[in-house]
Amino acid sequence: MKNQSNIWVGEKDLSKDPQFMKEAQQEFISLEEHIADEQVMENVGSNRRDFLKLMGFGLGAATVAAGCDIPVRRAIPYVVKPDEIVPGVATYYASSYVKGGDFCSILVKTREGRPIKIEGNDMCDMTGGGTSARAQASVLELYDTNRFKAPKITDGESWGEASWANVDQKVKAALKSGATRIVTNTILSPTSKKAIADFKAVYPNTKVVTYDPVSSGAMLEANQKNFGQKSIPDYRFDKADTIVSFNADFLGTWISPTEYARQYANRRRIKDVKNPNMSRHIQVESHMSMTGSNADNRILVKPSEQGVAIAYLYNKIVGAGASTSGLNERAKKALDKLAKSLYGAPGTSIVISSSNNLNEQLMVNAINNALGNYGKTMGFGQASMQRQGDDKEVAALVNEMNSGSVSNVIVMGSNPCYDYADAGKFVSAFAKVKNRIALSYAPNETVAACNILAPVHHTLESWGDAEPKKGHISLVQPTIAPLFDTRQGELSLLIWAGAAPSGDQPYYSYLKSNWSGTSSFDNALRDGIAHGASDNLAVGSSFTSASIGAPSKVASSELEISFYEPVSIGNGEHSGNPWLQEMPDPVTRTSWGSYLAVPVNFDGVKRFKGFNGLNDGDLVELTIGNKVMNVPVIQQFGQMPGTVALSLGHGRTEAGKCGTGVGVNVNDCLTIIDGRAQYYNTNVSVSNKKGTEDHYSAVQYHHTYGVKGTDSATGETINADEETLGMAYGLSGYQGALTDRSVIYTANAKNLKEELETLHEKRHEAQHLNDQTLYPADEYERTRYTQGHHWGMHVDLNACTGCGACTVACMAENNVPVVGKKEVSRHHEMTWLRIDRYYYGDHENPNVVYQPMMCQHCDNAPCENVCPVNATNHSAEGLNQMTYNRCVGTRYCANNCPYKVRRFNWLDYTTADIFPANQPRAFGEDIPYGADNLTRMVLNPDVTVRSRGVIEKCSFCVQRIQEGKLTAKTEKRSLVDKDVKTACQTSCPTGAITFGDQNDKKGELSKKLRSPLNYIALEEINVRSSVTYTMKVNNRDEALEA
Amino acid sequence: MIYNHLNRKALLIFLTALLSFSLSAEVSPDAGKKLFKNNCARCHAKNMKSDATGPALGGVQERWDNEADLYAWIRNSQGLIATGNARANALFKEWNGSVMNSFEALSDDDIGSILSYVQGTYLGTYPAPVAGAPLPGASDVAETSNAWMYWLLLGLLGIIAFVLFRITGGMGQIAAEKTGEAYVPKTLLETLTSKGVVSLLLFALIVFAGYTTVNNAVGLGRQQGYAPDQPIKFSHATHAGINKIDCKYCHDGARRSKHAVIPAANTCMNCHAAINYGSEYGTGEITKIYASVGYDPSEKKYIDGDKSEEELEAIYTKWIESEYLREKGIEELDKEGKDLVSTQWEEIVSSLTNEQKKTVQGPIEWTRIHNLPDHVYFNHAQHVTVGQIQCQDCHGAVEEMEVAQQMSPLSMGWCINCHRETEVQFSTNEYYKSYVKYHDDIASGKKDKVTVSDIGGLECQKCHY
Repeated sequence: MKNQSNIWVGEKDLSKDPQFMKEAQQEFISLEEHIADEQVMENVGSNRRDFLKLMGFGLGAATVAAGCDIPVRRAIPYVVKPDEIVPGVATYYASSYVKGGDFCSILVKTREGRPIKIEGNDMCDMTGGGTSARAQASVLELYDTNRFKAPKITDGESWGEASWANVDQKVKAALKSGATRIVTNTILSPTSKKAIADFKAVYPNTKVVTYDPVSSGAMLEANQKNFGQKSIPDYRFDKADTIVSFNADFLGTWISPTEYARQYANRRRIKDVKNPNMSRHIQVESHMSMTGSNADNRILVKPSEQGVAIAYLYNKIVGAGASTSGLNERAKKALDKLAKSLYGAPGTSIVISSSNNLNEQLMVNAINNALGNYGKTMGFGQASMQRQGDDKEVAALVNEMNSGSVSNVIVMGSNPCYDYADAGKFVSAFAKVKNRIALSYAPNETVAACNILAPVHHTLESWGDAEPKKGHISLVQPTIAPLFDTRQGELSLLIWAGAAPSGDQPYYSYLKSNWSGTSSFDNALRDGIAHGASDNLAVGSSFTSASIGAPSKVASSELEISFYEPVSIGNGEHSGNPWLQEMPDPVTRTSWGSYLAVPVNFDGVKRFKGFNGLNDGDLVELTIGNKVMNVPVIQQFGQMPGTVALSLGHGRTEAGKCGTGVGVNVNDCLTIIDGRAQYYNTNVSVSNKKGTEDHYSAVQYHHTYGVKGTDSATGETINADEETLGMAYGLSGYQGALTDRSVIYTANAKNLKEELETLHEKRHEAQHLNDQTLYPADEYERTRYTQGHHWGMHVDLNACTGCGACTVACMAENNVPVVGKKEVSRHHEMTWLRIDRYYYGDHENPNVVYQPMMCQHCDNAPCENVCPVNATNHSAEGLNQMTYNRCVGTRYCANNCPYKVRRFNWLDYTTADIFPANQPRAFGEDIPYGADNLTRMVLNPDVTVRSRGVIEKCSFCVQRIQEGKLTAKTEKRSLVDKDVKTACQTSCPTGAITFGDQNDKKGELSKKLRSPLNYIALEEINVRSSVTYTMKVNNRDEALEA
Repeated sequence: MIYNHLNRKALLIFLTALLSFSLSAEVSPDAGKKLFKNNCARCHAKNMKSDATGPALGGVQERWDNEADLYAWIRNSQGLIATGNARANALFKEWNGSVMNSFEALSDDDIGSILSYVQGTYLGTYPAPVAGAPLPGASDVAETSNAWMYWLLLGLLGIIAFVLFRITGGMGQIAAEKTGEAYVPKTLLETLTSKGVVSLLLFALIVFAGYTTVNNAVGLGRQQGYAPDQPIKFSHATHAGINKIDCKYCHDGARRSKHAVIPAANTCMNCHAAINYGSEYGTGEITKIYASVGYDPSEKKYIDGDKSEEELEAIYTKWIESEYLREKGIEELDKEGKDLVSTQWEEIVSSLTNEQKKTVQGPIEWTRIHNLPDHVYFNHAQHVTVGQIQCQDCHGAVEEMEVAQQMSPLSMGWCINCHRETEVQFSTNEYYKSYVKYHDDIASGKKDKVTVSDIGGLECQKCHY
């Protein structure tokens, strides 16, 4: 069914689910449920007697409080104050976020020697100051209470703490005999590799086994065959007019998403409305990935059809005759047309695939070669090193371990007992190894299977370097002294090899002596990166064609399942991080656990039915091969009929208190072909509804605004408010402007001109209506923002990819608490910034627009005039201020907020008050999550920790505004853009968010505010929002859909 | 050309007007009040009768024989001292060498205004107690000077109440006579225990109790006047008063950070590596700094490596002992000396250690005097560097304090009040350029100053977020 004009958030919205419609009209879902929390109150309902008792208690408490002495507070200065630290002023250190192959050049904000926030490093030409959600959240992992605090040894029964000398002696003795294997994920650090080489020099019978949690092994081998180098080309999405991605989630998780997103957004922004000059992005996939949701066209193929889809394009472009049997007709037609357009414009496209099948990757390379893309849109001059692992190597190791030829295995940070595709085999083979040494900083399944643990530093405590792309060297420096008795992993290797330098910081000396960057070490340390790598798309050795076998066969089964890496927690590497667990998946918008994405079928009349008649939150029995799991279901628009999808990375059994037992593990369900994991399975079945998920935590249906209702008289779709009005007063068609709420505007690049006219007409009409006020603008109205600052924000929806880095950055900056799955399911998530995901266009294969939604700082704010205690009011600089100490928790403001961005502290999440009964225990822990002193070290001291019973919301990072203004004042100059940047703005990899002073006519914001694409959400209700969005423009090619 | 000419003419007229306006300004206590508030009130008490950082100003003109000298003193006291003026030098000495700020910008008229305001306030003739006269600013001081009116009112009401009481009594009597009943006048006891009186008293009690409760509750957690004992008997009077060390030398955060910062022990060592004379404070107090940072004063070098508490004790008792011997000029330690050494060492250990911190080495745990609640954002740099506020404005005359204490209430009302009154550095700081309207208003004379509250200094999120 086609419906080009409609915009919807999900099935419940489209089919006007009565429960959803009811909830959407209320700010808070049924109150009884909120209060009936068994932890808080056993007995609800109070009477006059209770009231008197409480009053008595209150008076008594006040008397006692008055009688008590004020506690004596200490001020403890430094003994010798370090020069670079001024208490109260943040110090920034350039460093790098490195986790396996994930890389991000960062600045670490420290306060009094305590890292509290990650910022992007804009000197880095790869990321350009952007970050990912994972990089933002990495600071919380530093203060993870599950971290190992000292070395440990197990006797097979239980673990006991050991001294480093003890561990070293034991390991050295073990290494003397037998073969040693080091199992690691991709190592980006040249110095780590040098340390391993030094280790190998002493223990020659050592081999390094590198694999990645999500494998790119086939791709590396294909490049080895075609170009003689085992690396990944330097893709330049900003140079491509057409991007064809076969299931590669390059904006979310694939290889180097932060870098790619930045390049991609450069060609998606509309710089000139007369000549949009956008790239066209075609995604070939079955499950709607984050990248697919940004695509203009999606060609739906089943997971097992991916291979033949590539082969089909390969045949069309290269003119070969690879087998393509089984490919669906619709995809064939689309690929025909796509091939034609690709062929017509050589050297302007990028074709990529995430396939882990060598033949398919060879075909992709051949396609790119035939299209002349090498040297134009991709090259090897600065080839990416961000994936170096091959799961084939682990398969070989499993055989070795089984044969007993390996006596020592050092597991360096990786977790093969969980994330290796054939983990079961690995676990049983691993047990046969005599000495199993873990270099790890937090518990995981592999550490549990080891017998010696040498705990390592967190990246923020470590020295190191990284070479994510050839010639692009970045440094890692410690920003805090090690919190526990841990030791850098590389140093452990060097010590065991007897090759460690002496001194206070041996690994620092080692790193420095090993420095080979183009600039001096100190300069590189200051900047975080060594400059010098220039834009270089050279191919190196020319393309050598290789013989290409058949792609993987199309399965004939009725149902197929694909597995995808979630943007948040990866393949389980970040499961222990509550910020990432609570961050909703960009597309399904679910948090805390796995949700089976099932396709949605239109019943031809009114309702959209989930596959098997399943609804959101239904529990089903999922059978993959022999494994049976109970998983909740989410209805996913754009999911290909006959396919379902499930995310990796869940179901960890050893991931600390917040990651253990969340969701289900499907790593053992992957298909293994030719020693490599294929991220789908064709032997799958899904049962009918078996039950309901206890705490269904998809947030898309929470805080919905601009919803539609049905006019009871005519059956037409109208605004929900209007429906209420109609019911109460018998009005219909009341206030024309309210019927169509302006939440999202979309257009196709082709008819942008007409769509813009419509937009401007609508805006004009809204503004006209707003001018018809009973309260004519008086002197105050006219002059209030004519001087000083008037803060505002601009969000470019064409640049926003929905990655969620801003939401995590906001949590880190503003001490936004984690509430846990149960609370999320009760609409209690506390995020100040959410990214709403809307579908539009074709119901079967829709396009998506992401809308970051935060407090709009309305200059005519409806929340302000309903507050009985004036706790929320307006500043002279246009900020909607929230004063926690005045707030008495009536929640009137939240009810009256049209954008639904106000959050109420139902519980004392960050343990700001003294009553333990208010403190939630999200993970059943002894000390509430937020009360632990180690966890609390991540709190931003410039932002108040809110207690129970108050409302909070986005403050436009007022602490940063204050800081920026102060900087300008002390330097006696006018405030400029760079003085104040909000946390969401600095974290964004694509620069979609611009914050600034609307009164600064030369500023970046004023420039953006002049774009004709701009609109204000819900402009017609005259709240005078300070946040401006742009119309979402796509470059969809309707010809491909025919 | 014509426009140009016209413009120039207009400008000329404007300038002339402005000049004549400013010339027409003359000596008035009203102008003096404003000037006093902005320039003098930081150091001189407003009642003109008590000493503060500077002396009480009441009767200042009588104390100076030569009016020209007084004017010179106010403009630049150090200049006058340098000329050898006897009164100036005596005054300077009397006030322990506290330097008065210079106010070169004040005109003779300005100073005259200030003096007339001072005189007026001192003698109680300003503001003029003329009822109904619309004196600018009169409402501020009305509370004290108009009190007699309230007493008069109370008296009148009392008389009316008495008269009414008599009338009701009389009417009761008449009524009783009319009905023929015997009139029994109420006794005093009956009157006092009557329903009306009891309920009136009860009502008054509730109002009074409520008022007191609220007032006390508002004051909960305030620590004005708090002057706890500190681990080191540090005297601000010695350091900032006698030796005139700039506040911001030690509290170096004040100019660039939120926190003024209690100096690290190594800051103390900048001077005290050399200054340690005397066996009372010299050894008793300064040795605490040495013990904290691990400095051996006898050897004049920092102690290397870890030392046991006994070894440390040996090092420092040796130092205390040698100082004592040197001071007394004796060779052998006498009984008094032995006592001194042991009591001083005990005192050092007890000041530097507690349940958590077992060793004398390591940071000194001072008792924090100025505590703001956690939900208050306060930034020293904003006030000191940007606002050019003197430390004494909030902290009082610290340079006179032997034991540091909290002078100001640090209440929100106190903050707000200052934000209402204090002018921002509007013309000298480029940052405020964006406040175009205010600059225009000042130029056109609509506004004579811009206070913190004018630019949003009373808004919640300036301090709470």
